[in-house]
Amino acid sequence: MPLQPPSQQLNVPRDDVSNVVDTMLMDTRVKWIAVVFQDTVDSTDRFIITPHIVDPTRGATT
Amino acid sequence: MTRGIRLLFLLALLTGCATQKMSGDQLARVAKDWSLSIRASQVIPVYPLTEDLQPGDVFLVQTPIEDQVKVYLGKGFLPLENLVTRLAVSGYAGFYRGWPQVEDGNRAPPRAWQFPKEGSPEADFSQAPIAAFPTYNFSVSRSEGLNVAIPVQGVPIGLNLLDSASANGAITLKDAFTYALPNRTMFDAIHQWAQDNAGYLKQFEPVPPSADGKVPPKKFYLRVINRVYLVKTVDVSLFSNSSFGGGASAGVPQPVQLLNIANATEAAKQFAAVNDILSNATSSSAKPAGSGDAAAAQPLVGGTVKLAMATSRSVSLIETFRRPLVIGYLASDYEIESGGKLAAPLPTLNLLEGRSVVAGQTITYQGCDKNCAIIRPWLKSPGNRAKLEAWLQKNGGGIALADFLTGDDAVLRQRAVTELIEGSQ
Repeated sequence: MPLQPPSQQLNVPRDDVSNVVDTMLMDTRVKWIAVVFQDTVDSTDRFIITPHIVDPTRGATT
Repeated sequence: MTRGIRLLFLLALLTGCATQKMSGDQLARVAKDWSLSIRASQVIPVYPLTEDLQPGDVFLVQTPIEDQVKVYLGKGFLPLENLVTRLAVSGYAGFYRGWPQVEDGNRAPPRAWQFPKEGSPEADFSQAPIAAFPTYNFSVSRSEGLNVAIPVQGVPIGLNLLDSASANGAITLKDAFTYALPNRTMFDAIHQWAQDNAGYLKQFEPVPPSADGKVPPKKFYLRVINRVYLVKTVDVSLFSNSSFGGGASAGVPQPVQLLNIANATEAAKQFAAVNDILSNATSSSAKPAGSGDAAAAQPLVGGTVKLAMATSRSVSLIETFRRPLVIGYLASDYEIESGGKLAAPLPTLNLLEGRSVVAGQTITYQGCDKNCAIIRPWLKSPGNRAKLEAWLQKNGGGIALADFLTGDDAVLRQRAVTELIEGSQ
């Protein structure tokens, strides 16, 4: 049985984005990942990383 | 009155007695008893039974989960309302690889079993995956009301045949079948459908609580069926506790000695006569003898009932539905989030029965701690990822790798390092 799909992660600092994305992509069901700038705290940019299993650009936009 | 006429008269009462008006409470109780029996097999009951429910059916659930639990525990079942769509899911051929008669498209299950020959309504589920249910015991009493609500008509008919005020009984669900698609397949299908229908789902976004706190927050769910259980034949056995006294059964004939072993020919004739009358009484065109228009308008039930065995103290009936009917299902619930997106699926049965579930949610990055820093490079070596996934399946409730590494699972990471990495050195 496969593991649960990865969750969206908040507050990911810029220098660890690549590692978190890399780990999310280990789940072969994850086909798309959105990296969205969240905020800057103490000169560190933080991002929201959202894994997607189905194409998020298909269908109506919200 | 000859015995034949008495039999006819007794059986003419079957429909009338079985469908007499009862209070809502009585009906609800019978429905609950039946549903509790099905629930005991870890299946969510369908009530009333229906043929028209299959994997891929999506229902909109507007009742808060807490209220659903109350309804489920109180009534014993959840009404299936607000059918939103039937997903055209493919994947049966792959899931049931090598299984005869299983294909995708227009002949996907259950169509090939429901209508094996074009133009013929006769079903053939002989090659469907079979299931087995335990025998359910129950007690029935005329004084407590019986029994248009129970989804098998053999029980009220049997009680009338026994001419008994109360009885103990057993229901055996025979010829049971099941088929399914994996949740994984449903996950993709419902997400694709949700994206294609985001505008529709947007109207079911979570509603925040009112400013004064008087109106609680409201959430909506999509319930996606992924497995159903069907039954074609139901055996009902009833054992009389007591018979009516003469005064209490004014106008009702005395118990019929259906099986008189001393006279086998007579017994066989009586069996045949009873089965003929039962057949007429339960067919869609029949009117009970001596009934008026009101009786003729009573709801008719779907199965064919045959008497299998009868004595003065017990009766066994076999009820066969024309085609198998769904008695229960398994499903997953997807909460509708802001923008009409769907949250991670949660098993409906677990939710309803208050069991813990592991759900993918938004988590907050906790940083890569000492153990995360050990695990990351270790994961790159061939074979280690599979080892960690298997370990997480067993020890971490199936948590995702990314959630495990940088989520709030420091203790689990420590255990993984101890057991998988340090333990192998």
